Amino acid sequence: MSSNMIMLKSSDGASFEIEEAAARKSKIIANMIEVECVDEDKAIPLQNVTGNILALVIEYCNKHIVDDDDDVATEEASEEEEEAKKKKVDDWEAEFMNSMSLETMFELLLAANYLNIKSLIDLVCQTIANNIKDKTPEEVRKIFSIENDFTPEEEEEIRKENAWAFG
Amino acid sequence: MSSPEKKRKKKKTTSTNNPSPESSPIASLPDDLLLSIFARLSRLYYPSLSLVSKTFRSLLASPELYKTRSFLGRTESCFYMCLVFPSEPNRRWFTLCRKPNRTSTKKKKSNGHVMAAIPIPHSPPGQWLGLVAVGSDIYNIGGGSIYEEYSSSVSILDCRSHTWREGPSMLVKRNCPAANVFDGKIYIAGGCEDNSSSNWMEVFDIKTQTWKPVMNPIAERCESIICKSAVIDEAICVFGHKGVAYNPKEDRWEAIAELNYLDLGWIWFTYSVIDKGLKGLPKFADHCRVKLADYGAKMAVLWDKYLPSSGYQNKTIWCAVIALERRNTQEMWGKVECLDAVLTVPKSYEFVGALSATL
Repeated sequence: MSSNMIMLKSSDGASFEIEEAAARKSKIIANMIEVECVDEDKAIPLQNVTGNILALVIEYCNKHIVDDDDDVATEEASEEEEEAKKKKVDDWEAEFMNSMSLETMFELLLAANYLNIKSLIDLVCQTIANNIKDKTPEEVRKIFSIENDFTPEEEEEIRKENAWAFG
Repeated sequence: MSSPEKKRKKKKTTSTNNPSPESSPIASLPDDLLLSIFARLSRLYYPSLSLVSKTFRSLLASPELYKTRSFLGRTESCFYMCLVFPSEPNRRWFTLCRKPNRTSTKKKKSNGHVMAAIPIPHSPPGQWLGLVAVGSDIYNIGGGSIYEEYSSSVSILDCRSHTWREGPSMLVKRNCPAANVFDGKIYIAGGCEDNSSSNWMEVFDIKTQTWKPVMNPIAERCESIICKSAVIDEAICVFGHKGVAYNPKEDRWEAIAELNYLDLGWIWFTYSVIDKGLKGLPKFADHCRVKLADYGAKMAVLWDKYLPSSGYQNKTIWCAVIALERRNTQEMWGKVECLDAVLTVPKSYEFVGALSATL
């Protein structure tokens, strides 16, 4: 297992050191490493990710790289152990997502998308989905900070068609 | 955990000193991420979400969303109901969904389910026996009532976009035929003027989109008017006054007893349960209509009740979703998962059918 450390630099100039194995969770970074455009002394600049979001991404990657290592070490782990481990990861992920605001969650999702970290995209999408489940259209607009762009006529039409939702 | 923001609720309420609470606007998400979020939600939430904005509305009706759902393994059964309202020429279609903001519907054990009207103009005539779901499509096959003409038309409702398209016509014109799906094919029986052995049943191959006749050796048992039909133990069973079973795998025809003498599990219940009620559900009124319908691996029970507050001019349709569990060959247990008043209708509405598509 490689313990090479690489440097990442956020859009606002903060530098982070991360194990290469953890950084490889990002397909973009993994690609950069493959094609050797990573200079050992130079930090990889990530123009689209701010420092506070990058810190969260790194926290996530570090946590999951450890789990992946465990998987290799205990390949013959029993089913219960597997389950316990999965639960531990689930719990960690739940707490991780719980600790941040929706605003942060959206930025984290964009960062995960930009860095192409599939499991993190899945996690954040699921959390946002859970968050908007039972919300009214007005509440969902607030969460996504989007405007109601239906014209008054369209809205009237929609209200008529969807009397069930407003009763 | 070293996250800077712990309590977003608190943050939200204290940010009222800003002129706009979203003064640092949330980064807007690209469509593919929105799709990935929507795909993880039950479709029960979609009607409400599509009221949010034009973008939401169009994404929620897009083919990409359904591709994402199936890619993520998030397809599910979605329940549809078709009614006719008095003096309206067209059928009305509804889909089960969840009402937003359930905090205001705390009363009783309502689960906040309602039937949302689907805005599709010009739905073709049809009847329950001729309705079948194949994946995300609902097929409406043949003519729809005794007053209507025999028809060979096949209309297909795409439940993703809620649009009708015409399918390849049947070989024979039929009125109130019975449709069943078996092994990727739709078998349609009866409803024809001439019950000869090459006419009575035909089969539609969904892959090749072609109809073929199914020859039968017992034309004397094959009737035009069909009361009930179902696939039971790999055989397509069709009941009028007499009963006929066809096993497509073995290409075997059989005369079977008429419905009244058969123990057919819950097919039979459709008739017997009505005036007694189902355990775990409120008692059905004497004059109410009760319908059982397929809801994926679950069973939906629909019944109606006069609405006194409307001066008995309207009825409320109730819906219960029951999860089924087979304990052994004899016993089947059901658990009521939800129970809601889902729709108010004019008292002389006509029930056409209810079924579920996979989306």
